[in-house]
Amino acid sequence: MKKKLLAVFLVAVMSFSLATCGEKKEEKKEETKETTEEKKEEKAEDKGKLMMATTTSTEDTGLLDYLKPVFKEDTGWDLEWSAVGTGEALKMGENGDVDVVLVHAKASEEEFIANGFGVERFPVMYNDFVVVGPKEPVAKTDDINTVFTQIINDQLPFVSRGDDSGTDKKEKKIWESLSLDPAADPNYIESGQGMGATITMADEQKAYCLTDRGTWLKQSKDATLESELEIICEGDKNLLNQYGVIAVSPDKYPEVNNEGANDFIEWICSDKIQKLIGEYGTDEYGQALFTPNAGTDS
Amino acid sequence: MWEWLKSIVSDTGIMSAVKVTFIMAVSSTAISSVLGILFGLLLERFSFPGKRIVVRINRTLMGVPPVVAGLVVYLLIMRRGPLGPLSLLFTIKGMVIAQVLIITPIISGMIYSYARKAAPSIRVFAATMGADRWQTARLIIRELRKEIYFCMVTGFGRSISEVGAVMLVGGNIKGRTRTMTTTISLLKSQGIFTEGVALGIVLLVMAFILQWICDLLQKEGEEDENY
Amino acid sequence: MRITDLEKTIGTFHMEVDDLYIEPEKIHGIVGPNGCGKTVFLKIAAGILPPDTGTVDYDGLSPRDITMMFQRPYLMHTTVYENLIYPLKIRGIRPDEEEIDRMLSRVGLKEQKRQYARSLSSGERQKLSFLRAVIFKPRMIMVDETLSNLDSESEELFAGMIGEIQKVRPVTWLIVNHQMDHICRLCDEMHYMEKGRFVKR
Repeated sequence: MKKKLLAVFLVAVMSFSLATCGEKKEEKKEETKETTEEKKEEKAEDKGKLMMATTTSTEDTGLLDYLKPVFKEDTGWDLEWSAVGTGEALKMGENGDVDVVLVHAKASEEEFIANGFGVERFPVMYNDFVVVGPKEPVAKTDDINTVFTQIINDQLPFVSRGDDSGTDKKEKKIWESLSLDPAADPNYIESGQGMGATITMADEQKAYCLTDRGTWLKQSKDATLESELEIICEGDKNLLNQYGVIAVSPDKYPEVNNEGANDFIEWICSDKIQKLIGEYGTDEYGQALFTPNAGTDS
Repeated sequence: MWEWLKSIVSDTGIMSAVKVTFIMAVSSTAISSVLGILFGLLLERFSFPGKRIVVRINRTLMGVPPVVAGLVVYLLIMRRGPLGPLSLLFTIKGMVIAQVLIITPIISGMIYSYARKAAPSIRVFAATMGADRWQTARLIIRELRKEIYFCMVTGFGRSISEVGAVMLVGGNIKGRTRTMTTTISLLKSQGIFTEGVALGIVLLVMAFILQWICDLLQKEGEEDENY
Repeated sequence: MRITDLEKTIGTFHMEVDDLYIEPEKIHGIVGPNGCGKTVFLKIAAGILPPDTGTVDYDGLSPRDITMMFQRPYLMHTTVYENLIYPLKIRGIRPDEEEIDRMLSRVGLKEQKRQYARSLSSGERQKLSFLRAVIFKPRMIMVDETLSNLDSESEELFAGMIGEIQKVRPVTWLIVNHQMDHICRLCDEMHYMEKGRFVKR
């Protein structure tokens, strides 16, 4: 009986403290709202939320955090996103869970539109992939064919994401275009995890892996333990990675925020934002992470 | 429905995930049970300065988020960690170490509570019967056997349902360290829900069976008290 | 058995026994009001509870020759039979099945031999506990209230069995009761307790 009373008492205390916490937060929010409203009278009015599904690379590189406040200021939309693999991002679009998708797998994107889930695809920017790995035994080169052939022939360890993400699809496509079968390499493993985790795993296993440059730069800069991997292959035409943005079809899902999606597409393809994208990363990494190319037919 | 389940279960990737899950869960439950039961019983049996703190630490560890345990084990066994030369990272052995770290405190904590309630009267009884120290110890274990099974089932349940630590330490490598739960998490990230749901059903069925076993054990325990 | 200069303090309770001689092979009754320290005394005498000071001289008896019965006996999570033979088992004695069956029928537990011990009623539990205490032929038996508040039939039964044991192979009995009742008629000697001390009456 005593114990029961004690438990009831504890629960009461906890819920009370939670309730007070909530109150405090709300108060704060209101305060900040008021002040921002006062300050930003000349800026675009608050229009609400725009939900985007995108790949982990745009979040991991910090690009979205960099663009979000500018988007809010220019258009009034509050951009929120779920950063997942390309496969899942497109699935979210197919289910009408998001208003717009920003991904990098051209073939899947075109299929997405062909199936009526998306309106139109606009190229936004590209970044490139690099092969990272231990210095030995693969020599640094700009020819992906040499690197991948040596990995298969010498049965070198290679960590693939194996998660059907844009990067994973890209990797599979490269193997295919070179007529190589990674299954022939017993040291070829699938991590089933995101890019960062896969790079860490490659580092641990002294293995090779294919990664987008942005994640690689950020990871090699931020990781607590310095990576022992190096870029083994870069600059091959096969390694370019084109991002596209697509509004989810309002015909299929009338409840999606199509107005916000169109605003976002127009905004991200504008000269001003394209320039911002081209500058992103130069301060921190000494090189740009993305190359803008809106308006081209990539 | 049945055909669908069968076609999914016959998928080699899924079968290997089930196998990895079982190898991992059985070995980690076995090791944790031996350590946890021994520790819990010894903790109840002996008084020493600082015992209260040990008990409190045990209780805290019972609620440790598995990813934290996973991170600790990861740092220990990674290539540049203190146990790096043993090459345990991304192996089932490594996963078992993390699981043992998670489950042992749960088992020892539960056993300690049960023993603290039941052992004193068993000890008095054993003394009146003239049992020696070893006979008393054996009697305590025998009298607590249902609670011990219950703890082991609980540990096994925790083990098969674990994701975070297993993902960190095991690396979710296809065919080697990919478990049922990490497969579900991967399938979800690929936007493939059907197979994920099928695996989820398999796990649910297992959870149901475990729950049922626990229920049986507890019911028998309750019957003892109706006098 | 002789108890000398015994002292024990538990919380606010204090017990003092200067000198008490328990004559062997006799039935001793200890009577006193609730909370006077009978159970504590019994536990110390049985060697389950250590005294703060003082000595208990068992006159050559080993702890294995002494047993104690509680008002709410501990029953193991197993059958009536397994409970009954436990003291024999730990002594490595092979149980005499005929003897066991005879004892069980005597107290009316024959039918329940293979039943789960904890399914017994409280009266049956006391009977089982009694059999379990006498089965290994201890030299001294402490009884904590077990034999109070019995129905007259069980009282007859226990009295008869105690009498038989005393005839064949006399045992030292220490029987605690919170009031004088019929069981006391069996006693060879009575001791009275009040507030942690033995008093004359």
